[in-house]
Amino acid sequence: MEIDREDGRTPNQLRPLACSRNILHRPHGSASWSQGDTKVLAAVYGPKAGTKKNENPEKACFEVIWKPKSGQIGKAEKEYEMILKKTIQSICVLTVNPNTTTSVIIQVVHDDGSLLPCAINAACAALVDAGIPMKHLAVAICCCLADNGYVVLDPNKLEEKKMRLSLI
Amino acid sequence: MDTKVSVSPKSLIDQIVVPGDVVLDLSNMTNQTIKLGSGLRQDGDAISAVRAGKLSYSKPNTYWVESSHKRYIPRLEDHVLGIVVDYKAENFWVDIKGAQLALLPGLAFEGVTRRNMPKFEVGTLLYARVVKTNTGMNPELSCTDASGKAALFGPLRDGFMFETSTGLSRMLNSQTCPVLEALGKKLCFEIAIGINGRVWVNATAPRSVIIVANAIMNSESLSGTQQRIMVEKLLAKISD
Repeated sequence: MEIDREDGRTPNQLRPLACSRNILHRPHGSASWSQGDTKVLAAVYGPKAGTKKNENPEKACFEVIWKPKSGQIGKAEKEYEMILKKTIQSICVLTVNPNTTTSVIIQVVHDDGSLLPCAINAACAALVDAGIPMKHLAVAICCCLADNGYVVLDPNKLEEKKMRLSLI
Repeated sequence: MDTKVSVSPKSLIDQIVVPGDVVLDLSNMTNQTIKLGSGLRQDGDAISAVRAGKLSYSKPNTYWVESSHKRYIPRLEDHVLGIVVDYKAENFWVDIKGAQLALLPGLAFEGVTRRNMPKFEVGTLLYARVVKTNTGMNPELSCTDASGKAALFGPLRDGFMFETSTGLSRMLNSQTCPVLEALGKKLCFEIAIGINGRVWVNATAPRSVIIVANAIMNSESLSGTQQRIMVEKLLAKISD
């Protein structure tokens, strides 16, 4: 029943996690989060006065900016931004700071699989560091379905390519 | 989210809490009144934390979460250091590191009438008091105390201003602050602490200003004794 993984992990074994907060000087909250070789930096600015167009001014507004390791952002990154924004909106108390905008900036340092869960964890840590009022914390993990039907947790880039489907 | 927290609330006092931790369960303390400070939220029968920090309790019934951030949440009667960013008609717009700019009416000074309203350039540092904090409105400041006297409030000229976290400025503002006590024994300086995380220092000798500023910035995350040792080391270095 065992399936072989490139790095010798068991199917539900995670890569080593590391997190440090308040690592950047300028933002109001920041955190770095790494899972194995995947590393993401998150910075939070705000809340700043005023909301963007098409947003409800009676609630706090969030904007997520995704910075890839290199190059321009494409469709996949836009989707990541959207998922992250939805996640943040669901865990934060939006009524405490009405008519304000909080910017969350995600910088990918290295991508070795499970990038979006890593970014969600980093963003959550940065929001806690910034003192944004939150209902609860968010935790994300990536799982993959292997060809033989086994579920594998926290895949790296190589495994992600081989797998049939990945869920976050 | 129907997670049940099994730890009894009493044990969480003076412990670190993170957002979502259920701090108190109201269902088994129906005949009590409690007061909630910053960082706590009522959700049905449960009181949960919205900010990470140390859960503090003060007798008889007040609970709050003690935390340190780079942003300031305006609170009534706080003494803050603000920077003028704009003036329109009779009002000054002041940055106090909060979500919104604060409003300082030109008439909120001692003995000021419409004829002799003060004029401040953009960038002036002001020591002021928070007098209004309504949700959905900009907070309002005043440069007088409750009886309308100037009482040290007003513009701060010369000197040096630097930014700290709100936790550090709260520590400096407490009754016995080891770092300021230790510095005050050897050096002569003027200091204004804004609870919003700004500190202004002035002294006749520029080197005193630098020492005081460095000592304060170093003192974050040090205990009382460590602070005293750090100040002594700093002062010994410059006396050579």
